[in-house]
Amino acid sequence: MLNRPSSALRYWREKYPRIAALLLVGAVAFSSTLALPQTATNQPAKPDDDKVVQDFENRVAHYLEERRKEAGTSPKATSSPEKLDEAQQTLAQKSKAARAEAEHGDVFTPEITAYFRRQIKSALAGRQGAKVRASLRRAEPVQDVPLRVNQVYPNKVPLQSMPPSLLQKLPPLPKEMQYRLVGRNLLLLDGAPKIIVDFIPNAIP
Amino acid sequence: MIRRLLCLCLLACATLTEAGGRLPAQKTESASAAAPAQQNGSGLDLRLPLESDSIRFAVIGDTGTGDREQSEVAHLLETYRKAVKYEFVIMLGDNIYGGHHAADFHAKFEEPYKPLLDAGVKFYASLGNHDDPNEERLYKPFNMGGERYYSFKKGDVEFFVLDSNYMEPAQLRWVEQALQKSKAKWKISYFHHPLYNDGVSHGPDLDLRSQLTPLFEKYCVNVVFSGHEHVYERLQPEHSIQYFILGNSAKLMTHDFHASPQMEKGFDTDRAFMVVEVSHDKFYFQVISRAGQTIDSGSETLPVCSASAP
Repeated sequence: MLNRPSSALRYWREKYPRIAALLLVGAVAFSSTLALPQTATNQPAKPDDDKVVQDFENRVAHYLEERRKEAGTSPKATSSPEKLDEAQQTLAQKSKAARAEAEHGDVFTPEITAYFRRQIKSALAGRQGAKVRASLRRAEPVQDVPLRVNQVYPNKVPLQSMPPSLLQKLPPLPKEMQYRLVGRNLLLLDGAPKIIVDFIPNAIP
Repeated sequence: MIRRLLCLCLLACATLTEAGGRLPAQKTESASAAAPAQQNGSGLDLRLPLESDSIRFAVIGDTGTGDREQSEVAHLLETYRKAVKYEFVIMLGDNIYGGHHAADFHAKFEEPYKPLLDAGVKFYASLGNHDDPNEERLYKPFNMGGERYYSFKKGDVEFFVLDSNYMEPAQLRWVEQALQKSKAKWKISYFHHPLYNDGVSHGPDLDLRSQLTPLFEKYCVNVVFSGHEHVYERLQPEHSIQYFILGNSAKLMTHDFHASPQMEKGFDTDRAFMVVEVSHDKFYFQVISRAGQTIDSGSETLPVCSASAP
């Protein structure tokens, strides 16, 4: 019963076989287009992904704990730009000094990097991915930032906006930390001292 | 038979397009239908009714250049403050361009708006892509309470100030909860990146739009202000939400528009700011150019809207 075509469908198939075939192809194409973003964004996590994300979160938490211990926390609110300026510079200097031995890859290990690349690729797939790419193009892309771990992000260079759909695909961060883009590179930025904690080169395919 | 089938297909396509597209649902009353122009003693053109118990504020966007044009708009803002007696200013981002040292805060904010600050006018900032979130959210005169996104209430109006540079899931959850529990008659949201606009330089942020508009529609947001595009634009209301872009209070991108049926009013030849009055069920606005000319004005009536159940 379930496999038996309805009488209307049978009528169409017999009476106008070419039109029926065209309609069928159209319907399949339309439904697959609708399904595209779903399959792109809801890929099941690989069994090892949870471990990789946990490893990443542990590394970020460890970094933040050390920074708070050695350099202090975010400055307090003030009406004085001078005090803000001074607090930010002091925090940046102490943070740099506390992590003088930091190297590229301390947080973004090869496994974590591979996971991030997969996530970013899936965020850029499908119809929603086209919106993300458009959003990136219109976000006044930032280029001229030397990518060096444990360096302060330049004061005069704006921070490029991050598309929300891309952020949804990446592991959540503590409030003080942010993901940012410089060209096609993904930065892990400690916001208060504006320190580049680590980065993934050419993260945007 | 084939002709009937084609007609049916076309009808179905048209229905789908309409459902997924924009549905203008509300009309802004033009200047003539709003409060009539008044001339006060100083010869100022005033289009707000100035009712006794109303909420009045000014809107500026993309201001922090520290150049002559910013100062000239700031001077006119002070002139209008004396007449309109607005109590606060909302800032649509790019509050400080370039460096964020102490001298930048002085030259690009404190000095141009000194008369307003001295008069006790409060500024409520949102963050643009040229702003430093970690310094500006901690700068008390911006009244951000140390946060990148926040809300505040004035009478019947609640403002939801978002950080459109970094719309992470936590912020989306926050705005949904804040909108859901709001009992305000008027809900106004503002942030830097426009969801709709007809500027050539940037255009709308479609990804941001797909995240925010369902929330705005679900929880009956009435008005949305954005900057980023260095022009003034008022768009046809979308699902009863009035969208304004005001990114030319210091910066300017001249002749930046492309023709569009969604544009109700556009201005891209000089700087501008807006004064707003909300009185009971009415929202009045007036946009003034750096030369002191009213380039747009009108009013909105609070649309009937019931927030969806959580």
